[in-house]
Amino acid sequence: MSALVRFRLAGFLRTGRALAPVLAGLLTLGILYGGGRAQPAEAYGVSAVVLFPVLAWQTKVLLDVEPDVQRRLAVVTVGPAREYAAGLVAAAVAGLGLVMVALVFPWLVGGVTGPSLPGERSIPAGVALGLWAHLLALPGAVALGALASRVITRSAGYGVAVLTCGVVGALVFGVAKSAVPWLAPPLLPTARALVGPLPGSTALLLSGWALAWAAVVLSGYVRVRARRA
Amino acid sequence: MWLDDVGLRYHRRGPWVLREVTVSLAPGEAAVVLGRNGAGKSTLLQLAAGVLRPSRGRVLDRPSVVGWVPERFPADQPFSVDGYLTAMARIAGLSSGETERTVRRWVDRLGLGPFRTVRLSQLSKGTAQKVGLAQAMLRPPGLLVLDEPWEGLDAAARELVPQVVDEVLAEGGSVLVSDHRGETVRLPGAREWLVAEATVVERPPSGEAAVAVVELAVPVGQVSATVARLRAEGHHVLGVRGQSAPTVATRPGAGPPSEVTR
Repeated sequence: MSALVRFRLAGFLRTGRALAPVLAGLLTLGILYGGGRAQPAEAYGVSAVVLFPVLAWQTKVLLDVEPDVQRRLAVVTVGPAREYAAGLVAAAVAGLGLVMVALVFPWLVGGVTGPSLPGERSIPAGVALGLWAHLLALPGAVALGALASRVITRSAGYGVAVLTCGVVGALVFGVAKSAVPWLAPPLLPTARALVGPLPGSTALLLSGWALAWAAVVLSGYVRVRARRA
Repeated sequence: MWLDDVGLRYHRRGPWVLREVTVSLAPGEAAVVLGRNGAGKSTLLQLAAGVLRPSRGRVLDRPSVVGWVPERFPADQPFSVDGYLTAMARIAGLSSGETERTVRRWVDRLGLGPFRTVRLSQLSKGTAQKVGLAQAMLRPPGLLVLDEPWEGLDAAARELVPQVVDEVLAEGGSVLVSDHRGETVRLPGAREWLVAEATVVERPPSGEAAVAVVELAVPVGQVSATVARLRAEGHHVLGVRGQSAPTVATRPGAGPPSEVTR
């Protein structure tokens, strides 16, 4: 399967289509950190929220780069389960690249600051929590991007609609007093949790929530894939 | 391999493209899939290859290694011929040493040597089709599925397809070929499956429908006269080898051919 993951990443990078999501990510981060300085954990919590649509879009672009017939050749060669998995893993690896850029970016532009008062989080703790927040956003973004990919939606219009509805839903259902917060991945709840002290139970709940949301969306992706070539 | 009461429709409420298809193909057997455009030949081939899942019924005992040559090779990819075949060999599970040997063997055999570093998108249709054939043969397939394999191939490469088919059959594999141009007379002995009205029936080769390929050696000076005489007698001349301008295959206007020469 790793050979297929490498093949898909190579196809994604060599076509130059990787450039658009990366530039969009940098632009978003530039706007986010252009306004002032914040504690790392707090800043990264918001960064994970704003990167969610970029990560989902990048996943769609990566999966759509490969011609349909080439995807079918991969199904014949490695079987359907490994073909699905290889696409998702390739998207997750590409997403990790963007997450690393998001973690380094604020230090380059002076968007984050160290602890100024006693009792505030140290920089390593803030960075670790920031990494955690981005890693929580990634599975949901990959799942949403996969659901918006051409093999599922069949047309560019439906693809954009799925992507947009997913992102808007994630923000609308994720607000503080939402009646159905579990309909969205826990992006905004994670960002809110990172403002103050984070109890272990909350971290565990948010992690489980993020993985469960991604699993439900991915099961939809796999169900539809099973019916389509 | 068995297709047991297989049916397929592309949408839940769409029409059945194929239904109640029950056919089998034993190791060492080849079948030619015939039918008009849009009859469902490619669909049947993709069901056999495992690209499509049946909406109803089952495909049983499909060999573990399947080679599928699609009707149109997906040339819109940012890889060279060498890079693509190497990646496909690794995806198929070959080690790096095996990959190098196998890719070199198929590149040489299919005359792809001059195109090794050329990007897929810059290849002619026929050369891209050869890359499609090569990727299907990187691991010896237990089932080789060829969707219109002669499309766009030059005369020399056309001869190669039956050779490849024979090799797969000799190693105990099965072969499924679709064809709408009558090229499958190059595969004598293959069973014939006719796809029509959403189902598949086997056409027994018998009597007037059966054809055989007869190869003749003729002095160069008499080629034109011989070809003209054979055509006048109603034979289907597939081609002429060994002269600079090969005669294009033609079919006589009336009557079924009783034999075929080339």
